[in-house]
Amino acid sequence: MEVTQDLSFIHLISNASVLVQLVMGLLLLVSLMSWWFIFIKMFAVRAEIRMTSRFEEKFWGNSDLTQLYKQAAAAKPGQVGALERIFAAGFLEFAKLKKQQGVVNAAVMDGVRRAMRATYQREMDQLESHLSFLATVGSVSPYVGLFGTVWGIMNAFRGLANVGQATLAHVAPGIAEALVATAMGLFAAIPAVVAYNRYAHQIDRLSSRFDSFTEEFSNVLQQQA
Amino acid sequence: MNAVLIREPYRLPAGLLAALVHALFFSLLYFSFSWQSQPAASMSVELWDSIPQLKNAAPLPAPPPPAERVEMPPPKPVVTPQTKPDIVMPDKKKPEAKPVAVPQKARVQPAQSSILERQLALEEAARAEQAAATGRVVDEYTAKIIARIRSRIVMPPGVPDEARAEFRVTLLPGGEVLNVRLVKSSGFRVYDDAVERAIIKAQPLPLPSDSAMFNRFREMKLGFRPKEEG
Repeated sequence: MEVTQDLSFIHLISNASVLVQLVMGLLLLVSLMSWWFIFIKMFAVRAEIRMTSRFEEKFWGNSDLTQLYKQAAAAKPGQVGALERIFAAGFLEFAKLKKQQGVVNAAVMDGVRRAMRATYQREMDQLESHLSFLATVGSVSPYVGLFGTVWGIMNAFRGLANVGQATLAHVAPGIAEALVATAMGLFAAIPAVVAYNRYAHQIDRLSSRFDSFTEEFSNVLQQQA
Repeated sequence: MNAVLIREPYRLPAGLLAALVHALFFSLLYFSFSWQSQPAASMSVELWDSIPQLKNAAPLPAPPPPAERVEMPPPKPVVTPQTKPDIVMPDKKKPEAKPVAVPQKARVQPAQSSILERQLALEEAARAEQAAATGRVVDEYTAKIIARIRSRIVMPPGVPDEARAEFRVTLLPGGEVLNVRLVKSSGFRVYDDAVERAIIKAQPLPLPSDSAMFNRFREMKLGFRPKEEG
């Protein structure tokens, strides 16, 4: 291994051994993806919370369910939130079952609940997508970085064996190179963990809001049935 | 994943932001992280147990102030011959006689010859000074070389103080030893060997930086005694 006097960041990366470079490349890719998902989720969750609040307001301020359903059905996909879709699914099912003759009220309510449940599951799945990726990045990338570092340090010490007079200047660049891998692993992991915890919490709260809305909406429908 | 991603409405801005974050991070690393680890201009210190003797240091006084004398003489001899001896006198012993022998004739000539002599004397002095300086440097470095070798001698036991081993050492310009030859044995094989090893170990030997001086060191005869005299 070559001992350089000039330790710029570029040198650190270009002088690292191939495996360490691979690890760094992998971590860079993972970090890019995790940040991408972080921003996607940030926008999505924020929009979801906004639209949920808006629909709740609209729902409780306005008792005309048919009009609400028409609005929900006519809106473009980007303009309605998950809660509105749950409502639409439930109301559609309710209207369909009501038209059929000889369906018991309990059966109607069961069908409505099932329809809302299904939509709820789908929406939650959509909201929680990529969160597992963030969790994986958060827990694994420090180890990947550590692996690169250990490998780089092993190389540094092996190079040291060939030098007769070992000084700190011989080991330091190698260790610094190796530590870049850990730094990148941490850089990928820390935001991923923070984002995962934050989004998981926000989605949990959204989910409980959906749940309570489903119950309340069922009650409203039962009164109408 | 793609099927899910298609439904994500914020792909592009999120991607741009992610790229931005990384660009920021790496530019931060790049600008804050370029450190210069210049090796502290390696300072090698040699410890001498005795300061090398500068033999010619003392007898070299400042050369007699030449400037004054060159300016003074020309006008005076021509105008007043009587004062001439005074001026010529300090130069050499010879001129002293001249004015006495032919006081009238040599009005102009002595003056000229005395100038010439003075110049010659000056040149000679300069040459002597240079030679002395060279000699001083040679002595100094010879002393350094000997001290350096001496510090590396591993003294074998049972060698009397008066044993003296002489070596003829041939050097290369870098200070490496090309050849070591025992010229005069001390009579103790172990001591001869110890000195020879020390000479090899002492490479590179200190040499003056002026490469012109190297000729004086190309071939050196060095003598070593177990105990440094003087």
